[in-house]
Amino acid sequence: MAVRDILLYPDPLLKTVCTPIPAVDAEADALIQDLVDTMIAAGHSVGVAAPQIGITRRAVVVDVSKTKLGRDNNHGLLTMVNPEILESEGHHIVREGCMSVPDYTGNVSRAEDIVVQFLDRAGNEKIIRASGFEAVAIQHELDHLDGFLFLDRVSSLKTDIFQRKKR
Amino acid sequence: MKHFALTIIGRDRPGIVAEATDILYRLGCNIADSSCTILGGQFAMILIISHPEMTSGDDFGSSFAPLEQSGLSVFLRTLQPGGEKHPHMEGELCMISVYGSDKPGIVYRVTKELGERGVNITDLNTKLVGSEKRPVYVMMLEAVLPEGMNVKDAEAAVKGLQDELQVDISVRSIMNVEL
Repeated sequence: MAVRDILLYPDPLLKTVCTPIPAVDAEADALIQDLVDTMIAAGHSVGVAAPQIGITRRAVVVDVSKTKLGRDNNHGLLTMVNPEILESEGHHIVREGCMSVPDYTGNVSRAEDIVVQFLDRAGNEKIIRASGFEAVAIQHELDHLDGFLFLDRVSSLKTDIFQRKKR
Repeated sequence: MKHFALTIIGRDRPGIVAEATDILYRLGCNIADSSCTILGGQFAMILIISHPEMTSGDDFGSSFAPLEQSGLSVFLRTLQPGGEKHPHMEGELCMISVYGSDKPGIVYRVTKELGERGVNITDLNTKLVGSEKRPVYVMMLEAVLPEGMNVKDAEAAVKGLQDELQVDISVRSIMNVEL
């Protein structure tokens, strides 16, 4: 029930592999509420992962429904506990930035369609298929749970069209 | 702190970056933004550097002489205060590809249309590809559109050049997401 500060790299918690949440209990619910509050308070944000507010547990919230890119294709507010990507398909290059790494953006290759399994806020097992911007946001937030920043995923410097061929 | 723009260019070979940055490190310079790449057979380095005490290019003395002796060209520009700061740019980000048979004026004509409309080019690469007999010119650029201009407008601004230059042009928005 609180807006938390977003940790900035090089905070070591951002490079930590987070531990699963054993049960969606009152403590987990409070964490989820903090994530939602922090995401909303951050205005432009479409997702926050628990380690970004200093809690190294496997929980994220994602909501792309308020954005131009995700408005027409989303599941509304997603609160995900112990999420796991079961399937991914296709890939596209997205220019990503992150609240925990201000002032830097990089080209990251992300799957276009994903199937994700997670526990919702009530502790129910859920499986959803996400695509487009929502899928990008989910992949970005889930990376945080394994200590990955988008910097670890940058796939090309500027335009990678000029691949030099060996003559 | 005074900032400088340092440009180093010369025939590509292994070790250029290490030699240049060895000198900077020993001088006590900070490297802020930098971009280094191969262009043709040349390796080009552009760096924004700073030093806590140095205030003019003369302070560097002959520090870069070893680089020049190894065949590299070195140029140092002293920046005005604030010249090291990246301006904040609102506006849509787009990517423009232009490619076709090589001919004079491709870069000029496209960038002229953009410049006249206040489009700010933030990155531009060109490369001559294809065979010697049938050279193909490829230009890729990234730009920030001025307020009130969208990707469709930018496309309309440059699409007309397709016929004039006999090139293919595509404009698309970059999915730029802060997460």
